[in-house]
Amino acid sequence: MNAGKLLSYIILAIVVIAFVVSIALKGFLVTVGAFLTLFIFSFLYKDNPYYKFAEHLFVGASAAYWMSMGFWKTMVPNLFGKLYPPMVAWAVPALKNNPAQPLMLIPLVLGILLLMRLSSKAGWISRWALAFIVGTTAGLNLVRYLRSDFIQQINNTVFSLYVTNASGFDLGATISNVIIFGGVICGLIYFFFSKEHKGAFGAGARTGIIVLMITFGASFGYTVMARISLLVGRMQFLFGDWLGMIR
Amino acid sequence: MKRRVPLAMVFIVSLFMVIQYFVPLDSLAWMYQYLLDWTIIIGVFALLLGIWSLWHVSYGKIKQRAENWQYSIVTLAGLFIMIISGFIPGWGNLNNYVYEHLFYYVLVPIQATMFSLLAFFISSAAFRAFRARSILASLLLFAGLVIMLRFVPMGPVSTVVADLAGWILRVPNMAAKRAIIIGIGLGAMATAFKIMFGIERSYLGRD
Amino acid sequence: MKDRLKLVVFLTVIAFIIQATVAFAQSEGETADSVISEQPVTPPPKPVIVSGEDIPNDNGHKLKLNWEYPAEWNDSIVRFEIYRADSPDGDFRRLGEAAGGIFSYLDIGSKKKDDPNYMPNDQNLYYRVDAVSKSGVTVQSEIGGPFQTSGQWFHKGKVPVLIGVVLFAIFTIYFIRSARKGKDLYIRPLAGIEAVDEAIGRATEMGKPILYVLGIGGASDIATIASFTILGRVAKKVAEYQTALTVPCYDPIVMSVAQDVVRSAYLEAGRPDQYSDDLVFFVTNAQFAYVAGINGIMVRDLPATNFYLGYFAAESLILAETGNSIGAIQIAGTDQITQIPFFVVACDYTLIGEELYAASAYLGRDPLLLGALKAEDWGKAIAMVLIIVGVLATAFGWDAFREFLRVNL
Repeated sequence: MNAGKLLSYIILAIVVIAFVVSIALKGFLVTVGAFLTLFIFSFLYKDNPYYKFAEHLFVGASAAYWMSMGFWKTMVPNLFGKLYPPMVAWAVPALKNNPAQPLMLIPLVLGILLLMRLSSKAGWISRWALAFIVGTTAGLNLVRYLRSDFIQQINNTVFSLYVTNASGFDLGATISNVIIFGGVICGLIYFFFSKEHKGAFGAGARTGIIVLMITFGASFGYTVMARISLLVGRMQFLFGDWLGMIR
Repeated sequence: MKRRVPLAMVFIVSLFMVIQYFVPLDSLAWMYQYLLDWTIIIGVFALLLGIWSLWHVSYGKIKQRAENWQYSIVTLAGLFIMIISGFIPGWGNLNNYVYEHLFYYVLVPIQATMFSLLAFFISSAAFRAFRARSILASLLLFAGLVIMLRFVPMGPVSTVVADLAGWILRVPNMAAKRAIIIGIGLGAMATAFKIMFGIERSYLGRD
Repeated sequence: MKDRLKLVVFLTVIAFIIQATVAFAQSEGETADSVISEQPVTPPPKPVIVSGEDIPNDNGHKLKLNWEYPAEWNDSIVRFEIYRADSPDGDFRRLGEAAGGIFSYLDIGSKKKDDPNYMPNDQNLYYRVDAVSKSGVTVQSEIGGPFQTSGQWFHKGKVPVLIGVVLFAIFTIYFIRSARKGKDLYIRPLAGIEAVDEAIGRATEMGKPILYVLGIGGASDIATIASFTILGRVAKKVAEYQTALTVPCYDPIVMSVAQDVVRSAYLEAGRPDQYSDDLVFFVTNAQFAYVAGINGIMVRDLPATNFYLGYFAAESLILAETGNSIGAIQIAGTDQITQIPFFVVACDYTLIGEELYAASAYLGRDPLLLGALKAEDWGKAIAMVLIIVGVLATAFGWDAFREFLRVNL
């Protein structure tokens, strides 16, 4: 037996002993949570069997979780419950007296068409269902983006560059407004695809990328503390809920 | 049939969505709600395709004794335990002991820990930014540092940093975000248009 | 490498301490003392219903009821209760209440006839408002009405959107037609796009696989659709070079589309035999489980090139940093503004926002797509003109221009 293998057996033994001791002292459920937490953290060192175990368990269980969520929260009340309420009355008694809605046959048929793609011959028919979903969203997107991402943003940028306050001309606010105005224009220039970034246009595009980079930095910095607080949360779980060292 | 029907369907459904946006009639609002419900239901059907793929890939690995095949057993075990506990009606749809406890003591801790790994990754990403050589990267780093340090007590410098951070968030940050959003809006509109009129059809595959 | 690890741990610890300090330093909010006012002894007066306005630009079934009440009684009235009936001597049904000091109520009725809260359009409605005082005395108003609600055929507040749709349609059709006629359209180079071929070539030389991540969007998300087109190009090259490709998916519909896209690409490259559905597979549709799975694939398969193109949320940095640690060339692109910075820092090339959408036109050089790209540029030019004219108009005190650009929902 080589040294590497021996070491991994020793680690396995330690993990198993710690697991058993933890169950005896702290109970089964919190122990499972704590060990899975540690398994995931172990990835920071390198890929290892414990991470692989947690990862694979997570993938399988989460896929099934959303599957059953979808079934009970969507299919039962919104499909079966509307198609033929008595069918699901035992699960959702509130639906019992609702009228049946034959129109709900359409998503049922489209859903089955979608599943046809598992067949190699009739797979193409699943595109009908797909076309339905893509079409719905495309129509929605067209008007939604036009309003919120185009007209609304332009409207927000139409303001007075010359700002006054109670004591007269406000230099700081005026400079800020000029920079917002210039920043938006230069940012837009940067996103021009069909014109070469040369001359004055090129200078605009370069200013645009400078403003973009400052923004990316700001956004990055803004997120750091939020991410660290997630780690604080996990540490609280390990040292508080599990080990009981902090309260 | 293979292409015309889906393309016609896309056109009709998307045109309806555009029209209902401008016409506030009961009947259109009624249909709109139906369409949205239908897309959600079709989405749940699709999950079956996903589960099938997961089963197929995992089972294939086990059968071929591919590298790390043992872990595929773990995946399938997780999958089946969760499905059985989630679907057995006697166990009380969704309110059953096994299903709920698997969620709270297996899924939640792993998920929260994966998310918290970001604390380390954001540090290593910041470290990479530290080594920035170009002017643009240095600008990014500078803005990031100012924002990060805005709550840190540093005596008289604190207010200056906090003011500067506030200004960066209010002024250049706002300007660039607007430019990006306007661009995204135009791109999204163009894509929606191309889909409506069948110019963009990558989502239908080719054959 | 070791130094870097130390520094990373050090930085994390510092940040951790700061965060903890900030959290502990947060003081608890103070509770305000409530003020008890004295009540007048005389009975409260009746509310007076002044108007019932139909809400414009809707399907009807909505009415804003306004009433008046003496201000000096504000403190002694607990609430107003609102009632509606379809005739003055009919059965008045309680709709809801407004707090004392508030003199209007938005009555949102049901459009369903069998609903007890049914509110027909174009028919007379009558209202009554009861004022309830602190001492429990209730005073009824005179019956107000008749008022009517009505539905409209067109939402006037959305005129700017309609103009936008029409203009954009004209631009798109015009430029697509001119591109079809063979008019050469210039497009500026995009580093991220030009790197695609080189990145595939590198993986081929190294004999390592290529990982293509479509993100956590649905099949109808714009970013995902853009990514499908790029995936098609990448897959075709990959098939030609006979490199391995892995496409783990988050959404099952995205997976089935991606399977179609990759299968077609392999067919076009003349290598349909190389394709199998196992190249494009479903992982899970839980965000972090998906990341855990991809991280696993990265550290085990060691891909030479990673593509992250599509819709991404918090997982972006976990993916990009893990990819970085295995030394892969990384090309990313997303329209999620909050995630772009992480890709910029951790990836070799990043397509920012609209650049991702444009990428499909770049790679395909399809005149139809290039024409649409040109229309987008015209859209930007119009945005710039509108902003400049708007700012000038505001400078001269002409606010009507800004009003015109307002969408009233």
